Amino acid sequence: MNIKALFKSLLLRKFTTGLLILQLAITLGLLVNSSILAFDTKEKISQATGLDNDNILIMSTHPTSGSYRDFDYYRSIATEDMAKLRLLPGVNSVSVTNQLPIRTRGMLSNTHDLDNPEQEQTDKYLKDVKYILTEENLADAMGFTMLEGRFLNKDDQLDFGSEEKHNIVITASLKRALYGDESAIGQETNNGFIVGVINDIILDPTLPADKQYGLFINTVMEYIFAGRFYVLNVEPKQMASVRSQVSETILAVQAERDIFSVFTMQEHLNRFYRDDKGLADLFLLLCGLMLLITAISSYAYSQFHVTRQQKFIGIRRALGARKKDILLYVLTENWLVYSLGCVLGGAIALGFNVMLSQYISLSKPDLVLFFLATGVIFISGTVATWIPATRTSNIAPVIATKTV
Amino acid sequence: MLSYNLKLALQNFKRAPSLYFLVLLTLSIGVGLLCANLALVSSMTGDPIPEKSDKLFHVSMNTWPNDQPNAEPFHILRYREAMKITESDIPSNSAVFYASGVYARDAQSDSLKRFDSSVRATTSGFFALTKAPFAYGNGFAKNSGMEVVIGDQLNQKIFSGENSVGKTLELDGELLTITGVLKPWSLRPLFYHATEGRAFNLTDDVYVPLETAIDLGWSIHARSSSTVSYKGVEFTRDRDVFYLQAWVELEDKTKQQAFQNYLDNYSQTLKDAGEHPLDINNQLRDVNAWLLEQNIVDQKVLAFTLASVLFLCVCVFNASSLLLSRFHSAKFEVGLRRAIGASNKNILNQGLTESVLLGFVAGVVSLFLSWLFLKLSVTFLPDLANIAVLDPKLLLLGMLLALITSVSSALYPLYRANRYTISAELK
Repeated sequence: MNIKALFKSLLLRKFTTGLLILQLAITLGLLVNSSILAFDTKEKISQATGLDNDNILIMSTHPTSGSYRDFDYYRSIATEDMAKLRLLPGVNSVSVTNQLPIRTRGMLSNTHDLDNPEQEQTDKYLKDVKYILTEENLADAMGFTMLEGRFLNKDDQLDFGSEEKHNIVITASLKRALYGDESAIGQETNNGFIVGVINDIILDPTLPADKQYGLFINTVMEYIFAGRFYVLNVEPKQMASVRSQVSETILAVQAERDIFSVFTMQEHLNRFYRDDKGLADLFLLLCGLMLLITAISSYAYSQFHVTRQQKFIGIRRALGARKKDILLYVLTENWLVYSLGCVLGGAIALGFNVMLSQYISLSKPDLVLFFLATGVIFISGTVATWIPATRTSNIAPVIATKTV
Repeated sequence: MLSYNLKLALQNFKRAPSLYFLVLLTLSIGVGLLCANLALVSSMTGDPIPEKSDKLFHVSMNTWPNDQPNAEPFHILRYREAMKITESDIPSNSAVFYASGVYARDAQSDSLKRFDSSVRATTSGFFALTKAPFAYGNGFAKNSGMEVVIGDQLNQKIFSGENSVGKTLELDGELLTITGVLKPWSLRPLFYHATEGRAFNLTDDVYVPLETAIDLGWSIHARSSSTVSYKGVEFTRDRDVFYLQAWVELEDKTKQQAFQNYLDNYSQTLKDAGEHPLDINNQLRDVNAWLLEQNIVDQKVLAFTLASVLFLCVCVFNASSLLLSRFHSAKFEVGLRRAIGASNKNILNQGLTESVLLGFVAGVVSLFLSWLFLKLSVTFLPDLANIAVLDPKLLLLGMLLALITSVSSALYPLYRANRYTISAELK
């Protein structure tokens, strides 16, 4: 095979070849970056949250009746709700809280060691520590693991309106920020005394892994109107049956409630990344369209070329080239174009990646993806040119004698 | 001549229907996709109140009471600053409000079904300032009293769209009388509350006097910030709780300067009293400046728009190479027409007529496709639901884009066709 001759032949139709190379390059650039987006999203959705994602069922609800403005009434209903939910077969534990992990912002409070308020100046994340109102069963319901001390207990709930300082439990990263490697148990912060430290959970996925600052305080019953989420820990096998019963269970306690949704922690995580997933899917859809269009172009390109070169190919055949040789010749010519397209595509993929990063966060392209995308382009291109290529190889030698 | 050219174009289409179909399909997919994305971008960057967007100003003040470095002025204000703004007679209208939510039902109805309703607890100037369109009745005149204005959607749900002025609503157990009902009202973006990711929410269901909502303790549903603890919104009037947003309507530059001075003087009095240790930093930003600063344009949509521009390029390249092969196979015909007297110009005109016709058809198909793509984008990115609309401006743009792409993809093939020598083709 004479590569030089092939190049010469390509140069004879600079325009169409140039267009096809550009198209292939753009397609490759898009393919690489779309796959990056898809893989990034997949990684986000399957990240470790520190929680028992599949066994946690959450119900978000809000009363619709004015009677709930009497907080004693509200509390009695909430207590009964939880008691009834706990009785459902398969439910291990039930709790209530004002906010869930895996979301941005929410209720936040600045937090520092009482003797060391400057901490907030050096670590800006300490100004926005997740302030989670809950009660003693949340650790079981969410499956927290204790690093130090204990979780909140019944006695940590003070008399309503008490001015006394509360006991709190904090996350491991908050502990490290406040006290380094020392024990935090018994230390006093502006938000209360630390009685326990739990292993980190993903509270806000948009923050770095070592800044998952959060504190838990047993005041949800006092501020029951904030207790929007019931959290249930469910035996894996009974998730479906529990899920179908929770709404009826609490509506049977009191019907004037709006139940917004019932979902597992995994669904909550998926929901957080819904838009990322949506965008990745849109990009993949675009890739599909682009591949289709590029395939059409490849087809048209070789078809066009074949009609133009009929005579020359006829001559070759007359001079002894076998069908196989012609087929290989046409395919090699196309492969050469694809190779050029893919080389240029590497540059476009990089450029496109830089442009996209101005709008969204995505990883840098890597070689494996580049080669994968190249493979896809070669395969789809070859499939698209197969028909014109075989048709070319079928050109009869006699055509050479027809004209000139 | 035109009709002759059109006839020739149609004949050509008939002669190679699958090829022209492919060109048509490619161009319309490319244009349709880009058009759908541009529709989203245009909704997000639109001016929601063009007649006076340069006269409405959002008020940001920095009145944080301690020296925590909250250097930026706050978009949320304390009750005392909010009242200072309402008291001033420099603005022709002012509105101070916070967002809340209640459950609503017709107090006279037998049904206990209540509807989740978004609430704007606001001073009475809100309606004039935002030019809220009334279907029935009017706004409340005072900032207190058990009165409400409701939006069209809620009126549809509870009173099936009838004139409900004078009726009583039960809102979280309290009885309030309806004084006005709004017409369907869409603001894209929702300029008066563009923060906290609400820029593309619908307008509110219930508008209630500010003092009433505070007295009833209707909780704050948007961002709030405080240096003290407080039990509920009813205790916020004299505390350092920041939660109210303020807008003023200032007719001209003089008024604007006067109001800026008014705010700065107020901050100075706070400073003199030792209640405001940080620098004075009050800012007035008009609607468009405010929306720009909130970065409300969805970055994901921008990223996808970028990709769809590239896609359109690929489509044009594709159409171009398809057309090239078409013109090439029609070489003989072109040669023949040249030989019997058609000039280069005639051939060019004929080719252009063909591509304009193609562009026109592609335009129509692409409008349908962009509608389809918009629906599709909403399935993938549900947050866009309220902004996925194709307005007439975009339909026109889509048409134009289709024509431009169609003509530009035919340019090179036409140029080539005109260079075919007559004699060579007639051999």
